[in-house]
Amino acid sequence: MAYYVNRNVKMTWWERSYIPEILRGMYITSRHFFLNLFGFIPFFLGRKKEREIFTVYYPEEMVKYPPAYRGRPVLALNENGHPACVACGLCEIACPAYCIHIDPGCNSGKQNEIERWPEKFDIDYAVCIFCGNCEEACPEEAIFMSDDCEISMLDRKKMRYTKEQLLVPVAELKDRIEFTRKMYAKWNY
Amino acid sequence: MITELLITLAKILFIIGVTVGFFAPILTWVERKQSAIMQDRIGANRADILGFTALGLFHAIADALKMFTKEDFIPEGANKILHTLSPIIAVIPAILTFAVVPFGGVYNLFGREVNLVISDLDVGLLFVFAIASIATYGYVIAGWSSNNNWSLLGSMRTASQMISYEVTMGLTIIGVLMVYGSMRLTEIGAIQEDFSRWGIFLQPLGFLMFLTAAIAENKRIPFDNPEAESEIVAGYFTEYSGLKFGMFFMSEFIEMVTISAIVTILFFGAWHIPFLTTATLLSWFEILGTTGANLLVMLIHVGVFFAKVIFFIWMQMTIRWTLPRFRYDQIMKLGWKILLPLSLTNVLVTGIVILMLH
Repeated sequence: MAYYVNRNVKMTWWERSYIPEILRGMYITSRHFFLNLFGFIPFFLGRKKEREIFTVYYPEEMVKYPPAYRGRPVLALNENGHPACVACGLCEIACPAYCIHIDPGCNSGKQNEIERWPEKFDIDYAVCIFCGNCEEACPEEAIFMSDDCEISMLDRKKMRYTKEQLLVPVAELKDRIEFTRKMYAKWNY
Repeated sequence: MITELLITLAKILFIIGVTVGFFAPILTWVERKQSAIMQDRIGANRADILGFTALGLFHAIADALKMFTKEDFIPEGANKILHTLSPIIAVIPAILTFAVVPFGGVYNLFGREVNLVISDLDVGLLFVFAIASIATYGYVIAGWSSNNNWSLLGSMRTASQMISYEVTMGLTIIGVLMVYGSMRLTEIGAIQEDFSRWGIFLQPLGFLMFLTAAIAENKRIPFDNPEAESEIVAGYFTEYSGLKFGMFFMSEFIEMVTISAIVTILFFGAWHIPFLTTATLLSWFEILGTTGANLLVMLIHVGVFFAKVIFFIWMQMTIRWTLPRFRYDQIMKLGWKILLPLSLTNVLVTGIVILMLH
């Protein structure tokens, strides 16, 4: 059904006389003006740590994203310096965009050594859709969505990150790990 | 004789310095920054010299540099002479009107009466309107000579809008003239030393109508039909680039200062502080001697005058960033059906009141 716009809105005499309504509009804009203007000053004088308006000088100042934010996926690096990934390939299968490429490596049956690890682990960020399915599929808490979303670059080939570029120490991912544990515990896997 | 010449030259230099050298570049910055702050943004702050941004003040310099180095483009089929001439016709009157705008009273400096106005014409107010309406030719010629449909539309709109609102402007001024009995701007300013005789109290309706008509004359939002970006690209200066465009741009800002100055002089007590007459101020600084006291009072008055001017510029900016653009027919309706009868009524009522008081 077509949406009907009523263009014959009856205005009161007060509204039709322009001036009071204009003054009301100017009151609103100048209120914002003065609040923001004087909200700047204590910040620049160093009295306050944060400005009173929420806009930030972007490249110089960064906003910290909440743990629920899905930035680029990264691999977790254990405390003992090995990737937590066991190259099971579940994330590769779960990925709807087919941006993950894994070459597994394994030892020859020796005791007390890492059994499986990814020989190669590539994520093509030019293809990735940041859905978070890889993180959800991972049984080993090895792949996580970080809060980094600034991955634009001029060369498309460079968007394909290798294992070395992807590895991030677990300590840096603490918030996200906690969040995912809480989140996926609800869903009863 | 030589001294007179020097004094006049100093005044001319001061006015040109203040309008072209200070207000025009600063207002580009003010417009960006004020609109940003009003809309909860931060505004221009990227231009820097050695990493020092000075709140984005260097954007004015960057703009000027950009305009100087841009190609001066004249479209095919355009009338080359008129195309070049029209920005000059537009910008010169904007600066010229300041010749009769007083920015202070008469002061006794070194045994010489110094009147802070470049030329104290008897018909000062008429001069302002006569010169200001010449600028209209600049805009109309610019649109016509560009050989561009948008430009022509813009210039036609300019012409009709100017004609409509100049009538109202002239008629509102008649009310002011009847009250003060003078066209000399310095005299009108001097009368308003008495706070109860400020124009805003004697002609409140006249002030509102004058401000409306003046903003319409300056073609700023909400009356920016001649250059409406979303309708006709940029109106009459679509085909202009580089410094020619800069001149149109500058004339708009200088005209804004002119309007503020005229409004201040006619309605807001010119260079006077409420309840403080010049004599009182002079008696306060008596210790400094005649010249010293006069000099100090002069500085105070010029400061007060420009503070008022800056306030009105701020107000015009606020209006510009608050209101949406009128439709073309709405502008005509407002001009001819509302403002014109109102201004005529204003003249009539003022006349009746003056007749009854005498």
